[in-house]
Amino acid sequence: MENETTDTKTIRFHQFGEQAILINFEQRIEEPINLQVTLLDTAIHAANIPAIQYTIPAYCSLTVGYDPTLLDYKTLCLLISNLTISSKENSVQNPTRQLSIPVCYDQEFALDLEQVAKEKEITTKKVIQYHYQPIYKVFMLGFLPGFTFMGKILESISCKRKKEPRLKVPALSVGIAGEQTGIYPTESPGGWQILGRTPIPIFDATKEQPFLFQAGHKVKFYPISKKEFVMIQKDIESNSFNWQEIYG
Amino acid sequence: MDKLVTLTFQKAGMLTTVQDKGRFGYQAYGVPVGGAMDQLAAQTANQLVGNAEAMPVLEITLLGPTIHFNQAIQIAITGADLSPTLNRTPISSYQSITIKADDILSFGRIVNGCRAYLAIRGTWQIPQWLNSYSAVHPNKEVLPNSIIKKGSQLQVLTSPLTQEIKLSPPIPSTSLTPIPIRVIAGPEFKQFTTFQIAHFFSHTYTIANNSNRMGYRLQGMPLSLETSSSMISSGIIPGTVQINNAGLPIVLMRDAQTVGGYPRIANVVVEDINRLAQLKPQEQVRFVYHS
Repeated sequence: MENETTDTKTIRFHQFGEQAILINFEQRIEEPINLQVTLLDTAIHAANIPAIQYTIPAYCSLTVGYDPTLLDYKTLCLLISNLTISSKENSVQNPTRQLSIPVCYDQEFALDLEQVAKEKEITTKKVIQYHYQPIYKVFMLGFLPGFTFMGKILESISCKRKKEPRLKVPALSVGIAGEQTGIYPTESPGGWQILGRTPIPIFDATKEQPFLFQAGHKVKFYPISKKEFVMIQKDIESNSFNWQEIYG
Repeated sequence: MDKLVTLTFQKAGMLTTVQDKGRFGYQAYGVPVGGAMDQLAAQTANQLVGNAEAMPVLEITLLGPTIHFNQAIQIAITGADLSPTLNRTPISSYQSITIKADDILSFGRIVNGCRAYLAIRGTWQIPQWLNSYSAVHPNKEVLPNSIIKKGSQLQVLTSPLTQEIKLSPPIPSTSLTPIPIRVIAGPEFKQFTTFQIAHFFSHTYTIANNSNRMGYRLQGMPLSLETSSSMISSGIIPGTVQINNAGLPIVLMRDAQTVGGYPRIANVVVEDINRLAQLKPQEQVRFVYHS
């Protein structure tokens, strides 16, 4: 069963089916480990290897899908492990840019705010404050096209998924589950505890790049009123929204 | 001279979708690979009508549509045998067929397989999303015309017929039961005990009724797991076999989400993902180690 080759100290290559490689980093959910994933992923994209069809960066692993008729497993592992060395020094593009995302924590949107406050025995105001206080890291995308898994949230608001998942979570709902926070890009069934909603469309299928976030981004939420929410929504609809505010 | 041919769906069928080779390159954003479940059958269908590999086909699931063609065009059907008929006269799969104006293609009894593929010669007049024609899961609204509804129309810009070809259809895998599905060791294979591995390879599993393009759920004797089997979420590719908390395997298929948190015991070999795509709920499979 020769499906495993060990590279340098920290990463391990596994054959993953006949058309993919799984690269495992230290198996923990930690920002520095996730950063290594982002850097290797960025380096792989920059290397522009024609055999590589896609990558899936996750918390502490990177899946690389390839066409085995163009390159074999061993050669590709070798190519990638040579990249790992340079990825540490190389800051190609900027995979770690920070985005500011407004969130309205108004009752109307905060479907589970009361429940979370009750469970954590703190006021709703505190829950909100604890939620927008940290700068989060987008560890990975998945579950739905454009769904972000960001973390880690403060222990003081950490709570489990809902026992009965909602059949319909409204699009752009901001939720928490375990140590994570995330935004539903589209309406979907889901079990995260919903604390608010953003007016920023994080998924727009009509755009050439339909996804606002990518793994590695940093995200700072800031609270807005219902009035501001509606204003931003209107600006976006009429194409007069200043997107620089997000990247600022 | 090229001409525009319109297909009108008088009946949609159970699940008829536009599919191609898949949507590669956006898995980092959580976009499923998608594409024809049985890639081999889809590719063969396109070859039979002289289409490029990248052209879409219609994936027809169990109960086929009824389609009216307003002009002559060449088609081919591959994959499952769903008793195709042209103006109520049976026609063969795995060969190029010339349709005349006002012909009606329909389907009947399920003879074997689960998914038939209909290739139509020419350039389909439908949009792509992220370089693929395939229906988008779960964002159905992104390419709404890629999911056929009653009354849907599809236009194909067709060129003169190519030479008709006839192939012998592949022998359906249902001649053996349980049907062997070849797998190689998955990333978490070594985390399972010898006993669990032996169990996995020696038991027969039944494809559950809620199996679909996202995944095949398997029923049978569960593996005994000492602890909950979840792990830190990591990438998933079509053909990945996960063991869920109940100790039962799930084979992730083309529309599966891109990350998951159950241990990946095995991966189905590419050829057998296509074979699995032709199996229906309640059919039985067993896993075979492929070295």
